[in-house]
Amino acid sequence: MTGRAGVTGHVVVVGLGFGDEGKGAVVDALCRDGSVSSVVRFNGGAQAAHNVVADGRHHTFSQFGSGTLAGVPTLLSRHVLVEPIALAAEARELAALGVADPLRLVTAHADALLTTPFHVAANRVREDARGPRRHGSCGKGIGETVWYSLLARRAARPGDVVEGQVVPGEPGEAPTVGDCARRAVLRRKLDALARCYRPLAGDGTSVAGLVALYRAFADAVRIVDGDEVGRRADAGRLVLEGAQGVLLDQDHGFHPHTTWSSTTPRNARLLLGGRPARVLGVTRTYQTRHGAGPLPTEDAALPARFPERHNGTGEYQGAWRAGHLDAVLLRHAVAACGGVDGLAVTHLDARDLSVATAYRTASGPVTRLPAGVDRTAFVAGCAPVVEPLPDPVAWLEREVGVPVEVTGRGPDRADYTVRTPVAA
Amino acid sequence: MGHGKWDDDAYAAARTFRAAKGIDDFGYTASMRSTPRDRWRADPSLDPLGVAARECLDSADHADSTPIAVLFDVTGSMGRVPQVMQRKLGRLHGLLRRKGYLADPQLMFGGIGDADSDRVPLQVGQFESDNRMDEQLRTIFLEGNGGGQKSESYELAAYFVARHVVTDAWRKRGRKGYLFLIGDELNKPRLEARHIRRVIGDDVRQDVDPASVYRELARKWHVYFVLPRQSHHYDDPEIAEHWRELLGQHFLKLEDPGAVCELIAATIGLEERVVDLDQAMVDLAEVGSAAESRAVGKALVRVGPAALAASAAPPDLDGPDDVTLS
Repeated sequence: MTGRAGVTGHVVVVGLGFGDEGKGAVVDALCRDGSVSSVVRFNGGAQAAHNVVADGRHHTFSQFGSGTLAGVPTLLSRHVLVEPIALAAEARELAALGVADPLRLVTAHADALLTTPFHVAANRVREDARGPRRHGSCGKGIGETVWYSLLARRAARPGDVVEGQVVPGEPGEAPTVGDCARRAVLRRKLDALARCYRPLAGDGTSVAGLVALYRAFADAVRIVDGDEVGRRADAGRLVLEGAQGVLLDQDHGFHPHTTWSSTTPRNARLLLGGRPARVLGVTRTYQTRHGAGPLPTEDAALPARFPERHNGTGEYQGAWRAGHLDAVLLRHAVAACGGVDGLAVTHLDARDLSVATAYRTASGPVTRLPAGVDRTAFVAGCAPVVEPLPDPVAWLEREVGVPVEVTGRGPDRADYTVRTPVAA
Repeated sequence: MGHGKWDDDAYAAARTFRAAKGIDDFGYTASMRSTPRDRWRADPSLDPLGVAARECLDSADHADSTPIAVLFDVTGSMGRVPQVMQRKLGRLHGLLRRKGYLADPQLMFGGIGDADSDRVPLQVGQFESDNRMDEQLRTIFLEGNGGGQKSESYELAAYFVARHVVTDAWRKRGRKGYLFLIGDELNKPRLEARHIRRVIGDDVRQDVDPASVYRELARKWHVYFVLPRQSHHYDDPEIAEHWRELLGQHFLKLEDPGAVCELIAATIGLEERVVDLDQAMVDLAEVGSAAESRAVGKALVRVGPAALAASAAPPDLDGPDDVTLS
């Protein structure tokens, strides 16, 4: 890469809300000037839904990095869950948008876990069985993939309860992307997976068919091992794209409405191995959430005021919800990240905004989530103190103490501005 | 992921990955074509020589298996139709399952050529109920020759299905399987013993009347012949007359060869009396293009549910009764 200032710094893009902050558009905005050599996905899997609108083309990125329309290759790191059937469908969508041979842009790490139709089926059976106590799952087998991978390591037995879920059958080792190129290993692992899930997911999927399919996947997508992120980081500029948001983090979110993933910059930092990178926290000018879980500033009037072109009721997740910007949750998210170096603010075209600066509680107003309490119960029992928010950019810069480096005033790439060089 | 949908999604994914790799969808044909003609042969998995029986058996997963054999003409007169069908037939299983026409369809694909002039006049795969079907289709050798005498060795294929296919549907439940022959020419006037010996390996010393082969076949199979447009002889009345004599209303003309998979699904839906023609058209419109369902509708309109119900008995087959398959 060139030595020009502002071109070589790596950037970690992380959502400070419950997802849907606008990470995709921000990644695209960072990539469009050609300075980025790879987008690295560092968590989540096929449930990600990052919308990018560029020159009239719209795509909801799921496994491909959001720099794809800018021509930037994607690396699916070892922390990502890879679902080949959905990946192929996404490649076809991108090809239809004019991206030539999209799969050539994808590299996957051999250690990444595979999400299979067995995981998807089991996920849906379990969420259906929860009835009114749904977790707000996307129904794409993400949590199930992580959960299954724990079983063999914990020597779980059929009928055991692991992390609150019953082990349906005898578990085996979890299949990975690297296994796809090794037919015998893959076959053995998928057989074990199918047997384990049979009581829950039935027999709808053929292991033999899956082996052939995953073999074709391994032929078409470049698979790497070792420290690929380090190699790429030393050769060019990376954007590390997070999925979901910090408020859904497995450690910092609100159980049980969390995702089985580190949504903070933690994985990105591990992958970078100590190399410097700026953390760019993304927030809307208001708070949103998809599906079940706490949303203290929720205002039923807001979804109608802020029409949403690319987010509707999720097939599996449930309703789209909106509330006012929540300073208490924002502070919690920034702290969970270990601080951020800059902010990206989207939906600046929204008018007449408000912000909750504190929560009223029985023991007086609080501006931060207290430690050592049940966070979910706490936010469920608080009353936000809401005031007008005339200038969200100025307010956020003052509140968080870092510059707003990217602004978005609409869905299209043309509505995004990179205000200051996002550099290390 | 619904059970039926898995097939279609996985099929589409495999195609996407192969296309990205640049693997030809007809890899076997491409590799054969680059070798001298005298070395052309069927892939071992599709070679009928010495095969005692292709089996369509029940299993724990598929307790009510129904065999569906689809054998299509791969000779030159069929034009690009085999390629179109090879691309489309992989969807058939998903279609049958999704629409609930059959609980446990098992599909076998094969290719038919000309035993007088072709190196590979007959190919037959295994019955499969998953995406191995896709691989089987890609392994069929599209030889593309044919003899130019307006006949192909359909009766050789019919003989194989009559004599070398064992199904639990018939053995356990007395239920017929489905055989779809797709082509555009006549049967050979005689099923020659030397061809049976060379291609299938049965020690037969006497030529056989094709009509008697179809008669035997009709005891255990619903037999259809589909004549798709784009083939040479679509409008030749002699072809229609020949097949109507053998199969009655089970001779189907199909305007759009791209609709073959939908036609097969609709035909089975009607025969199983799961749907009437109107409902079959609604189902097809949901999954395919309007043009395809229109083509299927035209192909089936003269058949109709009533005619199909009556055809559960073998259609009138002529030919001397005393011709036995030795």
